[in-house]
Formats: sequence, structure tokens, C-alpha cells
Amino acid sequence: MQLPYGWIKELVDINWAPEELASRLTLCGTAATASKFIETGFDKIIVGEIAELEEIKGSNHLKRAVVNTGDKMVPVVCGAPNAAQGQKVVLAQVGAVLAGGLEIKKMTLCGVESYGMICSERELGLTDDHSGIMVLPDDAPLSQPAGEFLGVDDYILKFDLTPNRPDSLSAVGVARDVACLAGQKIKRPEYNIVESSYKCSEAVKISIADPQACPRYAARVIKGVKIGQSPWWIKAKLLMCGIRPISNVVDITNLVMLELGHPLHAFDYRQFGNREVLVRRAENGEKFTALDGNEHILTPEGLLITDGEKGVAAAGVMGGLHSEVSENTTDILLESAFFNSITIRKSRIKLGMTSESSVRFEKGADPNMVPEALNRAASLIQKYAGGDILQGIVDCYPKEINPLMVDLRPDRCNKILGIRISSERIKEILNNLEFPISRINDSSLTVAVPTFRPDITREIDLIEEIARIEGYDKIPTSNRNIGPLFTSIRDDDRLRQEIRRALTAQGLDEIYGSGIADPKMLSRVAPDLAQVKIINPIAEDLSVLQNTVFYSMLRAVSHNFAQRNLDIRIFEMGKAFHPQKNSAPAEIEQVGLVLSGRTNDQWFAKGREHDFYGLKGAIEALSETLRFLPPTYIPATHPIMNEGESYDIKIGDKVAGLAGQVKQEMARLFDVKQSIFAAVLDFEVLLRNRSNEPSYEPLPRYPAAPRDIAIVVDEAVKVGDIIELIKETGGPLLERVELFDLYRGKQIGEGRKSLAFAFTYRSNERSLESAEVAELHNKIGQMLKEHFKSEVREG
Amino acid sequence: MPGTEQVEQILAEALAAVNAASSLSDLDAIDVKYLARKGAITSVLKSLKDLPLEERKAVGAAANSARIKLEETISAAKSRFQQAGIISTFDPTLPGIARRIGAIHPITRVIDSMCETFRGMGFTIAKGPDIETDYYNFEALNFPPDHPARDMQDTFYLENGLLLRTHTTPVQVRELEKSKPPVKIITPGRTYRNEAISTRSYCVFHQVDGFLVDEGVTMGDLKGVLVAFCRDFYGEGLKLRFRPSFFPFTEPSAEVDISCFLCGGKGCQLCKYEGWLEILGCGMIDPNVLKNVGYDSEKYTGFAFGIGVERTAMLKYRINDIRLFYENDIRFIRQFK
Repeated sequence: MQLPYGWIKELVDINWAPEELASRLTLCGTAATASKFIETGFDKIIVGEIAELEEIKGSNHLKRAVVNTGDKMVPVVCGAPNAAQGQKVVLAQVGAVLAGGLEIKKMTLCGVESYGMICSERELGLTDDHSGIMVLPDDAPLSQPAGEFLGVDDYILKFDLTPNRPDSLSAVGVARDVACLAGQKIKRPEYNIVESSYKCSEAVKISIADPQACPRYAARVIKGVKIGQSPWWIKAKLLMCGIRPISNVVDITNLVMLELGHPLHAFDYRQFGNREVLVRRAENGEKFTALDGNEHILTPEGLLITDGEKGVAAAGVMGGLHSEVSENTTDILLESAFFNSITIRKSRIKLGMTSESSVRFEKGADPNMVPEALNRAASLIQKYAGGDILQGIVDCYPKEINPLMVDLRPDRCNKILGIRISSERIKEILNNLEFPISRINDSSLTVAVPTFRPDITREIDLIEEIARIEGYDKIPTSNRNIGPLFTSIRDDDRLRQEIRRALTAQGLDEIYGSGIADPKMLSRVAPDLAQVKIINPIAEDLSVLQNTVFYSMLRAVSHNFAQRNLDIRIFEMGKAFHPQKNSAPAEIEQVGLVLSGRTNDQWFAKGREHDFYGLKGAIEALSETLRFLPPTYIPATHPIMNEGESYDIKIGDKVAGLAGQVKQEMARLFDVKQSIFAAVLDFEVLLRNRSNEPSYEPLPRYPAAPRDIAIVVDEAVKVGDIIELIKETGGPLLERVELFDLYRGKQIGEGRKSLAFAFTYRSNERSLESAEVAELHNKIGQMLKEHFKSEVREG
Repeated sequence: MPGTEQVEQILAEALAAVNAASSLSDLDAIDVKYLARKGAITSVLKSLKDLPLEERKAVGAAANSARIKLEETISAAKSRFQQAGIISTFDPTLPGIARRIGAIHPITRVIDSMCETFRGMGFTIAKGPDIETDYYNFEALNFPPDHPARDMQDTFYLENGLLLRTHTTPVQVRELEKSKPPVKIITPGRTYRNEAISTRSYCVFHQVDGFLVDEGVTMGDLKGVLVAFCRDFYGEGLKLRFRPSFFPFTEPSAEVDISCFLCGGKGCQLCKYEGWLEILGCGMIDPNVLKNVGYDSEKYTGFAFGIGVERTAMLKYRINDIRLFYENDIRFIRQFK
């Protein structure tokens, strides 16, 4: 919603500048910003009169006009089809800047000099109308600045209102807060009605079939109106509120809605042939064509205003196409009603449309504003469109809605806010907010909450009113609660931190996936896993939750590959969602790791292709940092991994995840043309198998005996098996064995590899004799020869 | 037979040669001429055995000290030449040899930093599921069915009446249900909103919510905690502004602005020339919420607040597009090591 600053000033006598007003409103919960309605202003744009108008020879539409500005005659070239001699117009003189930023300069067109421009509404920034120049009333005073004459050289307050404050959706509502802040009373708009002797109740009968949905429906009938243009001041106010002027009657209903916050509707009275208004629920399948020309098929969720039979308006949302006020309308039925907010909400959601009216009813209008809004509008219609107002209001209000009585304990208010506000001040604030106090005793006040504040039903709501008017800045800051209770870091959070530390130390960057996936792609990534669907997705390719972090990891690889970031080392700690039969989907936290591409060449070393061993190394670093058993890799089939390069990762006897090289076709699916090595680990398994504290072992007291062995074996022999045999044979005296060289080449022959191991022998009880080391070392060499048919060179 | 004088003469001659040398190869030649196996000083030392004992001692000592003196002089001259850059392979401007360290995602960084600040104030961390029921996400938090407040949080719905949580406040309900006051908790986590994706909004984001329930908790206490948080997180010297606002689960409700840390409140592009940056929403926990979890709202009061993590990171690091957090371009992430 937006309102001109000047409108607020009409209603309350304040001298706050627009920005200050906006800031004060913001600090009392009615968030507003102030800006010029027409940013470029109206400098050098004035009222003039077309004194002369003649065709320009050689042009088929341009004319030469001479505009009288009171003190001079200004020649201007004008192309508007509606220009006529004697019209009062808006003249932009040389030096003026129009709303679109165009600066007016002296020009020569078709050989005719032009010293300005006669403006259309669009050029002034008022409306989109560019069909011709704007024609002012005959009494517009020559040379007056046009912005001043039009009343649009003003500031606009733009509001960002919260859903709980229906009362502030109007000029009077905003002015009420302003008056309260300024300690004043508002000047309510007045009206004066002259009624004819003919009774309105004879012209229309009103009945409500569902008083729950429509607690009040009132109408006046005005006969013999003349539909035409509104006076400029009404148009100007509507324009500044961002509403397009249409015709006098419609404009007045909009004006009163903006003024008092109560939506009104004007029908062509001829629509009600049988002089009846019936408010009822729509029937299933009932058709209704709205003002916007769309036909809607209704359900009983919708509430209709009918002429006794067919619908003439979707109650509180939008009028019907055929019952609208048109140029030919002479008699009108003016509706002022109160509809239930939930009814209107359901109805407008079903209809798929919102309007200024539905917004106000949905947030909660005031049932007791019905007559005032009706009378104010009727008086303005009579004044600007003529006609006879029939006698009386036909008002169907089966069960009156009264102010709610709410008790407020000033002491409780102070206890909640942590402040000392006196009871006197509390009463003053309530009075200024137009909340009458009906009873006062020692410890509490009984407050009659006006019906324009349906959001206030409890003591706490009144406390908020006190707080927002008094100002949150008045509440003293208390430091009682910044001191600690004891807190410790959770085990799972500590593990997350340790995982991040281990993996970043390995050079992996952390990524965050959205977790929302394309179902088609996801079923390629995880064909064997069910998916959790989003019923109302943003788009089809964002319509399921991922069931493996591989999905978001692959997306990240895809993005980076496309950006030519080719050295990709990333990890993610994210959730995978798995549907369950009889409960909510399981949320499984996973740690994903991916290496792809190659490292860059460096001056001291060539770059290298990322491979499975790098991935395994990162997982080893994880097992060292988190202190879980070294993982083992069990060959397994995973649909996304290359056959033969696909493993289950086991910690002890628990499957903790999987690893492998992603199939080329899968990489291609994500437009990646380099190899991808990926692993995923189950966070819960890590959490259960890690050990929090390192364990200490005494440093060795006796010297180590280092030895080497080099062996040549067939390619088929696995290093892991060799190491296992070495350890088994070495027993407790073999402290450590490490592979330090792997060589393939002509000297050792095709299909063979040379492996060199470093051994460390040591006892914790004594210095080892070289003879016993030699014996054990030889035994190991012998075992290797026998088991792996290897050639052995001992060192 | 050489004598000490002769040794001194050789040394003087050699030192003069070093002085006159103009390159490393000159120095190498001097080294050969005097110190190599057949060099002049070496020859003196070799001939010592033919001298009488007394003389041998004197000449030996002189020759040895001459040798040391000459070696040192040549070495010093060599390093002078090297430092003068005549020949050197050493270049201290070559890049260092380091292992690359990975980067922590900025969202993790901001969440961890917030949690650290609140842990210091005695808040415990609690978490809950991303997939929630209508009850925990809305109803228990005083969002009546068919209330316009539900439009504030566009929701993704799943099958069987489940939904993706639109805030981490459901964890507040879950924790209050199973705890006794005082309860002082923060709930970092992921949340979802069904909003069009743009530079300012994304379907996924993170929140750090927090709350405290105890006897006699006031809005002044809420201000105290948030002022302390902002000092610790954004730095000293910032002003805070509490503006009335609306959230169904708090009453009174407020938005908190801090004076713009970039321009100090004078107005700049970051704060859109308003001088203030909106950083979080908060309020006193609505009595209905306390009743829903079985607390006596006359006896206990509490406050709650919610901070958007991405928004905070965007302000703090001046990131202008929220989508960058989920696009995972490593050039972006690696800026947050």
C-alpha cells in the first residue's frame, strides 16, 4: 500500500517531514519509506492555455500552438490529436525534465521553432495514457506550477505492512498511529447526506444465507447518477496511491476504501430486477464471470452476492462482468459489507486472484465501519455524480459484533517488557489508540478492543501495543542472561568439525548442495533408491529430495567442469532422504568425497591425474583423525561405479559407505569429460565407530633394526595380500612395514612388477641381536617366495 | 727449505690474488694454486716432515693458520660474488612449496561462528529433522490454519501431510516438549521456502534460531543477549535498532537492524542509503506457544530469535547473489579458507 504524505497531513496536524514521519511509523510497527511521487519534480512545468493552433505545412500531424502562460506567449510544436484552441494544458518549458528523464530543449521541427512541450499524462509520470495531451479544467490558473495545481507534487509513503495489522491499510488507520505518536486526535473525513423521500427498503431487500461467512451486508440505492470523470483531486489521490482512475462512482468507492480501509462495491442497480440481494455459498459447478472477463467454475468454498438467482459478484474479491457500473448506468446499488476473513481467503485462493478488497477482508475488516463507509461514499457520489440517495440504509446485520473485553495488568506488561511504564501512561496510550477502558481496579484494566483491531484478543497483544507506541528503544537492555549456563559441544558437532578439519587438510574444499534434485537425473544416479517427492515444486527438475549426496557432488563437478575449474577436490556433509513405509522419510547424513581431473603442474613437480589412491588417502586421513579402524575395501557392484573399480567401505564389520570410479557414461550425463573418483560415508557409522580421545603408547626404549626387501611378482598379486602375509609372519617383532617403491619395466618383464618394502624390527623389551633379525627377515623372504612365486632381493 | 717468512709471503701473495680476483673461476684457480694437493701451502705442509722439530712446529703452525686464513678469505669472496648475483641458482622469490589446504564453505563458517558466540552465552545446540509435520512447523507455533500469516512462508509440501520446514523454530517446540526450564538453546539448520529463485532468494537456506524460557525472562533480557551477540559477531561500536514487527510465534515481535558497518550509518550502497541493515527477527515467545508445549505461561516467559545465515554471510562478505552458495564454484568457495 502507498499513500501520499499530504493525505496524512489532512488527517493529523503534524509538522514532521516525510522522511521523519516514515521513520517514526517504522519504529512503531507501521513500516514505511518516503519518496517523491514524481522523482523528477515539476520544475518549469506550468499551466498554460492554447491561444493559437495552426497546421504546419509539410507535416500531416504536427501543429504549431502558441501557449499563453499568463505573462508570455510560447510557440510550441504539438502532435496530439486532441489539442484544441482554448484548452488549459500542462506546458513543460525549456529546461524542464520530464518523468522519463527527457530534458526539454529549444528545437526546430519542420522549420518551426518550438520552446517547450504540451504534456500527456504519461510524460508527466501520472498514468500510462499517451493517447493525447492532458486537458485541465477551464478554471486552472495560468502560470501555476502544474504539480501544485494537480496536487501531485508530493511525497509518497510506501508501506511494508505485517499481516496482523488490517487497521493500518488505510489513510485513517495510518493517521491513527501518527496521532497516537504525536499525542493528538485525528480529523475524520466528514459527510453530509441529503436523502430523497423514497425508501431504500422498498428498492431492495437483503438476505444472508450464511451469516457466518457474511455477518453484515448493507446497501444504499442512488438513482439518477451521471457517470463521468472524477474531479481531479480524487484522481490525483488515487494515482498517488497507485490506483488507476476509472469513473466517478468507481473512483469514489476506491477512494473511500483507501481512506477508511473498508472495501465498497457499486453495482448497476438494473441488475437487481427483482429488487433482491441474496448472499449465499456458490453451488458446486456454478459458473461466474468476473470483471476481468474470466469465467470461473465455483465450489461451495466461494461466497457469492446474487440477485436472488445468479451471481453478480464474488463476495469481497471481485465484481461480476455484467453487473458493473458502465457509462450507461443511471441507478446504482452501493454495497458495504463485512465478510469473514477465512471465507474470503479460501475463496480468493480458489479463484486464483487477489484484489485491494480481498486483501482487506482477508486481514480482517471492521464490521462496524459498514455504515460510515457507505455514507461517506454516498455523499461523495451525490456531490460528484449527482443523483437521489434513497432514504435509509438497508442493513442486514443478524448478530451484532461487539468490542472484545480484554483485561490488562500493567504489572504484567512491565514484567514481560522489563520496563517501568506507569499505569497513567498505559491508559494514555490505550486512549490514543481509541481503545476505551471500561473498568479499572487495583491491578488491572478492562479494555474494550475496537472491532477494527481483530488481531488483538489477549493481554499479550495489548502489551505489544503499549510496547510499540512507547518505543522498543525505551526498553532497557538487561545483561542478566548473557552469562553462561554450562554448555558443552555435542559429539556429532565435534565429529563434523573434525571431518572438516581432516578433509580440508587433505586439500578438499567443502561444498553445499541444495538437496533438491531432478527426478530423472536422480534415478540415473541412484536407480535402486526410491525418491521423496515435493507435491508443489518450483519446477519439474527441482521436484524431489536427493537420496544420495552423490547427486549434489556430481552437480558441483558438472558446474566446475563447465567453468574450466579442472582440478576438483571437494567434499560435502549433506542429507540423503529415503522414503519409509510407515513413517516420515529417513534423513541420512552422509559425507561425500570427490576427486576429478588433475593437479596443476608446479615448478618443482609435474601435476598428476587424480586417482583412486588419492581418494583412499583422504579416507585414510579421516580414519587417522577420527580414530576409527582402518577401512577395508570390499569389491561390490554399485550402479554408478565402474565394474571392477567399485567397493564397499567397511569399518570393522560395518558397511560405512562406498567408493570407486564413476562410470564414464554417468560423468557424461553431467557433461563431465574427465574421470571422477567418488566415495560416500555414512555419518552415523562414523559417529558410532570413532574414538574421541587418542590413546598413548610409550615411546620405544630399544633401537630399531631397519631392513629392506625387494620382490618381483605377477601383476595379479595384490600388495595388500603381501603386506598381510609379511605382518603375519613377522609377528610382534616386526614394528612396521611400508611399500616404498613400485616399478614396472623391461628389465623385469611384461606382466610383472617390482615392489620394495621397508621393514622396521624392534622389541619393547630388549635390543635385538642382528642374528635373530636376519633369521626373521629371511623367513619372511622365504614365505614371500613360496606364496607369491616371487624373486626376492633382501637388503 | 721453507720458513715462516716464506709462508707469510705465500699467504700475502695469495691474499693479494684473492683481492684482485674478478670471478668465481679466478677464485677457483687461486684455490688450486695454493690449497689443492699440489698447491703452494699444501706443499709447505707436506715438506714439514723434513724439518727439525722446533722449526717444524713453527712452520707447521704458520702454514696451518695460513691455510685456514686463505680458505676463509676465498669462501668469503665466493659468497660475495654469489650475493652480487654473478651466478646463483637460489631464488627466494620462487613460490613456496606447500600442501594445498581446502576451504570451509562460507555457510559453515558463519554457522560455526554464530554457534561459538551463543555457546559462550550459555546456549546449547539442538537440531531437528528437515522434514516436519504441519503441527511442529505451523500449528504449535501459533499459525492458525487459513491464516494470512501462512503466506509469509511459502512451503514445499511432501506426501502424507508432511512438509519441508520453513524455519528451524519447530526445533524450539520439540525441545521445549522434552525439557524443563530454564531452557536456553540455539537451533542451527537448513530450511526451505517455495520461492522463485533469484539473486536474493533461493529455495534452500539456513537459519540459526535461539530461545530462552525461564521465570521472569523479559524483553530487556532479549535485547541484552542480542546486543552481546552483535558486538561479538559484527564488532564493537555498532548501534542496534529494535523495530516492531509480526511473527505468529512471538508477541511482542521485533526486527533488529544494526547501523551499517560499512558506512557507519551515513548511508551507502550496502544499506541502500538507509544507514541500517536488517539482521534478524525476534520477540517474546507467544503464550500460545508455551501453552502448546504444556508450560504455564503465567509462570514462565521466554524470548526467541531467528537469524538468516546466507543473509548474514552476504552482508558480512558483501556477496551479491545468494545462488553462489549452492552453485559450488570452487573459485568462490576457495575464497573462504
